[in-house]
Amino acid sequence: MTAESQPAELSYEKPLPPVLELTKPFWEGCREGVLQIQFCNICDLPWFPPAEACPRCLQDEWEWRPISGHGTVWSWIRMWQKYFPGWSPDEYPYTVALIKLEEGPYMYSTLVDIDDQDVSCDLPVEVDFRQVNDEITLPVFRPMSA
Amino acid sequence: MSNQPDRSALRNLQDKTAIVGVGTTEFGAIYRDLDPERSAYELGLIAFREALRDAGLKRTEVDGVIVSRLPHYGRMCEMIGLRHPRFVNVLPGEGRQSGIALQYAALAVANGMADVVACIYGNNGRSAGARYGGESRGISTQAMFEAPYGMTSPGAVTSMMFRRHQYRYGTTTEPLGHLAISNRSNAALNPNAVMQRPITMDDYHGARFIAEPLCLLDYCLINDGGVCFIVTSAERARDLKHTPVLIHATSQASDITPVYVADDFWHEPMSQIADDLFTYSDVQRDDLAFAQLYDNFTPTMLFTLEGMGFCEPGEGGDWITPDRIGLHGEMPLNTGGGHTSESYMQGWALHVEAVRQLRQECGERQVDDAQYGLYACAAPLATGHVLKRDN
Repeated sequence: MTAESQPAELSYEKPLPPVLELTKPFWEGCREGVLQIQFCNICDLPWFPPAEACPRCLQDEWEWRPISGHGTVWSWIRMWQKYFPGWSPDEYPYTVALIKLEEGPYMYSTLVDIDDQDVSCDLPVEVDFRQVNDEITLPVFRPMSA
Repeated sequence: MSNQPDRSALRNLQDKTAIVGVGTTEFGAIYRDLDPERSAYELGLIAFREALRDAGLKRTEVDGVIVSRLPHYGRMCEMIGLRHPRFVNVLPGEGRQSGIALQYAALAVANGMADVVACIYGNNGRSAGARYGGESRGISTQAMFEAPYGMTSPGAVTSMMFRRHQYRYGTTTEPLGHLAISNRSNAALNPNAVMQRPITMDDYHGARFIAEPLCLLDYCLINDGGVCFIVTSAERARDLKHTPVLIHATSQASDITPVYVADDFWHEPMSQIADDLFTYSDVQRDDLAFAQLYDNFTPTMLFTLEGMGFCEPGEGGDWITPDRIGLHGEMPLNTGGGHTSESYMQGWALHVEAVRQLRQECGERQVDDAQYGLYACAAPLATGHVLKRDN
């Protein structure tokens, strides 16, 4: 098959996350449009990124629970440096944001449905999803709807 | 808090140990001479040889070795013919480890684990094509939850923190420009510095963005080099060639999170370190003749100044003026040119510059009355020392 005839999703060249046993529920949730993170069943602490035990109790009695998907932009940058292949020249500079989730943990992501000049720290945002392929759907964030 | 440790015991290390020899490779010359065969060990070897000569010590008098960024202590020890060291450690090639190397050396010497410890660093990053960004393999948090968004590089996280600082305090990029310009004008007086051509505020504002709001001139260089410092007891140091540079006070603090950034710009660890250094020692900030502040990116210096109480949180932007931070100002910063202009030796060359300033060896860039000097590194794992010229 030539490059020209490949469906768009097969030519996706941006980095893709490996799906591990530990992180599989996260990606399954994203595919279904649900953002979920781990919560400790003993002390109720939520955490992200995924880990094998509660960082407070150190016990492995935890479960994935859906979260609100709400948060604020802690900060954001526009990336000009071409560190990765996969972003086409007209995508530079692209925006990366660090989201402070309502539940506490932080998550790097990107912002959609907003122009850069309207972005500011502490902007309220909510999760949205962008499908990349059959396995991976990435959570992204957009301004909170009124 | 009842379980708060008694930090006053930090005084036990005061003036017990000294840096007695320092060595650096050429920085400028080898920057212009890429060599894919240049090994980090070779650079470490050159620096070690230089530090030994500087200390007036024999190779066989070294009985402790700490290496950093060098993958294995074994190869380094083998290359310097050290078969039976009695204190050995290897630290990763992170900038925050340079201050920690000195702390381990001081602890080992002060507690009888070694008599003479050589701390050796080698970095062939430029020749090896290091980019400090773009990693997307493996099962790290970076690969799984950051790279898919194009998030990468230490500079980008620092830029995130600086944007937040701008938002919270109204800080502009002007003070970062002052830091970059000051580093460069110091480097112009440092014959070994990589970048010596002076820059202006127009140059700064005209430089291309890397991770906006930070631009190229906020960033450390990527260059090859090696650094070594040799530590022994204060007592023994007094029989050696140079005036000893004593480790007067040292401290470590941290704020370790999954996202690197800190909502308080590392105020908590840096203020803890300042408290340790200035409470359990004989000095105050005003006694310092200079500060060598870790400057992987210029905002790190701003965060350090605020965290260590040189000014209040949020006031760093106003505090940083060319007059104040210049070589003859109230608090000269990064007198050798720092990471943005002298050499990116991940804090190691800042230590050497501190020693050379305290020994009054710095020629045109020598600061006045250098009796005490500060090294500090703000990072999730933070360190600080006050170094003292022995009387």
